Amino acid sequence: MPADPWRYLVSVARAHTGLVMLGFGLLSVSGTAWVLLPWAIAKVIDEVLLAGTTEPLLPWSIVLGTVAIASSWVFVAGYRALFMAESHARVRTVRNLTDHLNRAGTGVRGAISPGEMVNLSTEDAHKTGSFIFQLGFGWMGLVMTAVGTVLLWRADAALGVTALVGVVLIGFVVGPVLSRLQHHQIAYRSSVATLTGQASDVVGGLRVLRGVGGEAQFSRRYKVASTHLRDAGYGVARADSWVQGLRSSLPLALIAAVTWVGARLALTGSITVGELSAAFGITALVAQHSGAMIGMAQSVIAAQVASRRLTAFFKTRSDVADDGTGAGARGPLVDPASGLSITPGLLSVVVSAEAKPTEAAMERLARYRDSEARWGDSPLGSLALAEVRERVLLLRDDYLFAQSLGETLRVGSAGIDEAKALAAIEDACAADVYSSLGSTLDGEITNGGRNLSGGQRQRLRLARALAADAEILLAVEPTSAVDAHTESLIAERVAAARAGRTTAVVTASPLWLSRADRVVWMVDGKVRASGTHAELAEHGEYRSLTSRQES
Amino acid sequence: MSANETAGRLPVADRAAIFGAVKRLIVEDRAAFAGVVALYVLAAGAGAALPVMLGDVIDGIGTGWTASRVDLVCGAIVGCVIVQLLLLRTGRKLGYRLGERAAAKLRESFIARVLRLPLGTVERAGTGDLATRTSGDVGAVAELLRKTGPEVAIGAIELVVLTVAAFIVNPLLGLLFLTGAPAFIIAAKRYLRLASPVFLSERAAMSEIAETLTASAAGSQTVAAYRMQAERGEAGYARAETHMGRLKGIIRLQTWFFPATDLTFLTPAVVVTVVGGVWFLNDWVTVGEVVAVAMLTLRLDGPVFRSMMSLSEFQMGGAAMARVEGVHLMPDEVREAAPEGAEVRLDDVTFGYGDGPDVLHGLSLHPRRGERLVVVGPSGAGKSTIARLIAGIDRPRRGSVTLGGAPVADIPLEVLRRKVILVTQEHYVFTATLRENLNLALDVTDPDARDEGEAGDAALYAALATVDARWVADLPEGLDTMLGEEHHELNLAEAQQLALARVILADPDVVILDEATAGIDPGSAGNVEASLAAALNGRTVIAIAHQLQAAESADRIAVVREGRIAEAGSHAELLAAEGAYASLWWAWKGVAA
Repeated sequence: MPADPWRYLVSVARAHTGLVMLGFGLLSVSGTAWVLLPWAIAKVIDEVLLAGTTEPLLPWSIVLGTVAIASSWVFVAGYRALFMAESHARVRTVRNLTDHLNRAGTGVRGAISPGEMVNLSTEDAHKTGSFIFQLGFGWMGLVMTAVGTVLLWRADAALGVTALVGVVLIGFVVGPVLSRLQHHQIAYRSSVATLTGQASDVVGGLRVLRGVGGEAQFSRRYKVASTHLRDAGYGVARADSWVQGLRSSLPLALIAAVTWVGARLALTGSITVGELSAAFGITALVAQHSGAMIGMAQSVIAAQVASRRLTAFFKTRSDVADDGTGAGARGPLVDPASGLSITPGLLSVVVSAEAKPTEAAMERLARYRDSEARWGDSPLGSLALAEVRERVLLLRDDYLFAQSLGETLRVGSAGIDEAKALAAIEDACAADVYSSLGSTLDGEITNGGRNLSGGQRQRLRLARALAADAEILLAVEPTSAVDAHTESLIAERVAAARAGRTTAVVTASPLWLSRADRVVWMVDGKVRASGTHAELAEHGEYRSLTSRQES
Repeated sequence: MSANETAGRLPVADRAAIFGAVKRLIVEDRAAFAGVVALYVLAAGAGAALPVMLGDVIDGIGTGWTASRVDLVCGAIVGCVIVQLLLLRTGRKLGYRLGERAAAKLRESFIARVLRLPLGTVERAGTGDLATRTSGDVGAVAELLRKTGPEVAIGAIELVVLTVAAFIVNPLLGLLFLTGAPAFIIAAKRYLRLASPVFLSERAAMSEIAETLTASAAGSQTVAAYRMQAERGEAGYARAETHMGRLKGIIRLQTWFFPATDLTFLTPAVVVTVVGGVWFLNDWVTVGEVVAVAMLTLRLDGPVFRSMMSLSEFQMGGAAMARVEGVHLMPDEVREAAPEGAEVRLDDVTFGYGDGPDVLHGLSLHPRRGERLVVVGPSGAGKSTIARLIAGIDRPRRGSVTLGGAPVADIPLEVLRRKVILVTQEHYVFTATLRENLNLALDVTDPDARDEGEAGDAALYAALATVDARWVADLPEGLDTMLGEEHHELNLAEAQQLALARVILADPDVVILDEATAGIDPGSAGNVEASLAAALNGRTVIAIAHQLQAAESADRIAVVREGRIAEAGSHAELLAAEGAYASLWWAWKGVAA
């Protein structure tokens, strides 16, 4: 994929060159037909009305009707072609984003906020397509200007010059200056965002507000922000009303000028009355479309900005090196940075008062961070990443995607059948998840698991990890949101289900500690001691951490 | 759109209610409204004068006008342009301000209403519905009042003025001018019927793309862990494909709509020229009149397209308005009971959510004043339901929940809140300063009493210190630091500490803590609980916990199972009883039973 914003735009457009060319061609024809419409009206006036004969009425009526139909129908055909080219371009960008998310993998962590991702996949994808569309309209405006100028010029050079100078002034000088006046809108839009944020706060925090109060304070705050927005809106109104007014009046001013020039010419007989009315009509149509030429320039700039954001995202790379080739490592997982070592075949429990450094150690062992960590004699970095991912599973606040329960538990992938999935649900005490979804693996889970409670989500994540049946399972606080009774059951079942396999659980819960083969006690991200729960209980500090309020 | 399609949903206003709301907004600002309409009409008139005067010039040239006479009329045309600019500019400005004022009024009354909605009703409808109305619909209505509405109004006024102008020029030609009307009416009606769903489904497809890709990004680690690349790829491609289908729906619509709209002015342009030409030859009309009306038809292009293109937005704005106005249709809760004292009693309470089965079965619980009662039990036993009933969020089906002798759900919120505060595991940090976040609970509606209501800095810091919130010292601007996603973001533990500090500041008679310390590091959870207990000494504290941290030091423990109190008593009593609590406790303590 091109890394340069301009080249990305070109590559997206070029994929549908045929449609783009077709669109430009049809819009050229349509633009010409539009301008010919007042010209044909003028012909009827000159050659029928003023000539005082009905004879040419039929042929000119046919011309007039044909031009009218062509202007409209050919326009739609051209519009359609460009619309399709734009749509294909948008779809292409969405596919590129999809592919890149897979390519960059965990490299997108922290590199992009959810809001930015929303913008990239909607607004920015749209802009990379819509500039094709706007270019088409701008082109049509140019064709109309050219044809109109030629027609007027043929009647009289002065008319042609007046119209051309006017259109150029409106389209390329005054128009862009007017657009600058709209900077008020930027401040306005950010006020809108602030206000929307506050309103969402009210809904998001409604339970809290209902619990402790604060409604009046919020109502007051919202009113203040709403008044600010109103005043910002007044500011926009002041500038924007000039822009809107001029946009509508400038074409009229040009029409007035052309009419004046034309009227003097008609008075002396240099042009016919029909040509005077054609001048009026042609100027009206061309001036009205001169706006499209401004739109063209603006959309190209907007597309370039959007493309720059997209290509910047396309530059994110995976944050874990994937150049290892080794396979078949054996032995304990060792993290030299913390001194943590996970013994094969045992249930280890890692106890610590601080969550963050312990979790970081687990990330290193599962290779979600590059580090000096080893698997037996092999540095983790020297092993093929695919192999590490297959054999070592890190469980924490994993994401739940919008898919069925069966798909969530990976039924159908290597070695997981329905029986295994159901067993994992049982071991994770997640039967209530299963029953709340209609007691079928086809039950749908919504994005982020929002149709489940916090405790259900946690147990479902655990079930998914158990079903995967990885050689090494590293679990961070897998039962922090469940009650003691259930936690006790889970610890018992997980210990049984994973007997003989390597499992490490980060928790200070005695319900897990009582099942542990081996306990590692960490302080400030370093291993302080390890052994059995009973051995470590000799340390007072450890005791107060694990047996809670020992009196 | 019918009100109340589904039971439990928040209501949607019907046509009459929307018209009523619009009428109210107009009446409240009627002088400005009348002025704006007048300005638009005059501006449209000045614009329509151009083709009319062109016709005069053409007929004048035929009847031998002098150059100075032509200059005079052309000068008048220029004058019309200037007048049109000034009228339109003023009209736009005032119209924009009018819309802005109306939007502000509407959204403020909406938020004020939302803040008074009964929580139970909102939860039954799902907060998603309300969130959509708040973030999307309110903005859409503002756009409607500020932009789309005026756009359609200006277009409509211009259409009428141009038609009137055609009739003034020549009533016969005016009739020909109307030949575009059938196309306009048919196209508009059909478009209104078909367009909204087409555009809405396209937007929905776009949101799905955003949701799918955002999920892939947010879940990148999960994708890596479970090697889900292929299915995430398929999901993204499928969303793109759906979107393409929806876009095709739009172009199908526009493929007939654009030519049909064009007919609105192409038909009269051709008819006026041809038929008008024949009439001229019969001396019924002048050349100037034919040219004037033909040019008037070409001017239809702008307003017809502008208003037609705004139609679907206009319609969607109307739908948004129906949802925004809908919240005003909800009945207000009447809460008038007056509690005496602060004693909490649950007697023989049976309760279930919505139409669901009973969650509590004849449960009775009498926390004593100043007692620290811990409610434990497995998930789903009904612990949180007890909390919600005591906090007056829900009403029991049978039995009674009273505070100071009055049914809790009938006590006015302002009174109830000074006596009972519920802190749940759901912690929400508002986008506001730390001070504002803390002062929530001290909310005083009477502005004169606010000085009293707002606690001094020392009290705020003391409350934060009580909950062990050491992170406050690191805040760049102390109590005035802005919190929230886009400013300083608090983690779960910090948010919980903030919520607890609020309670200390509010100092109510009864505090309900529903898993309120679940997210705090195990190392500091104990400290927080201990200091909180000290700070709340003398208050009735009802703590709900699935873990047993808080149980041992409690005055009394109630074990809830399947919607009933299974056991109750002090820690020592329950251990001696060797029941469910005892076995749980020993397991939890890590001592093999």
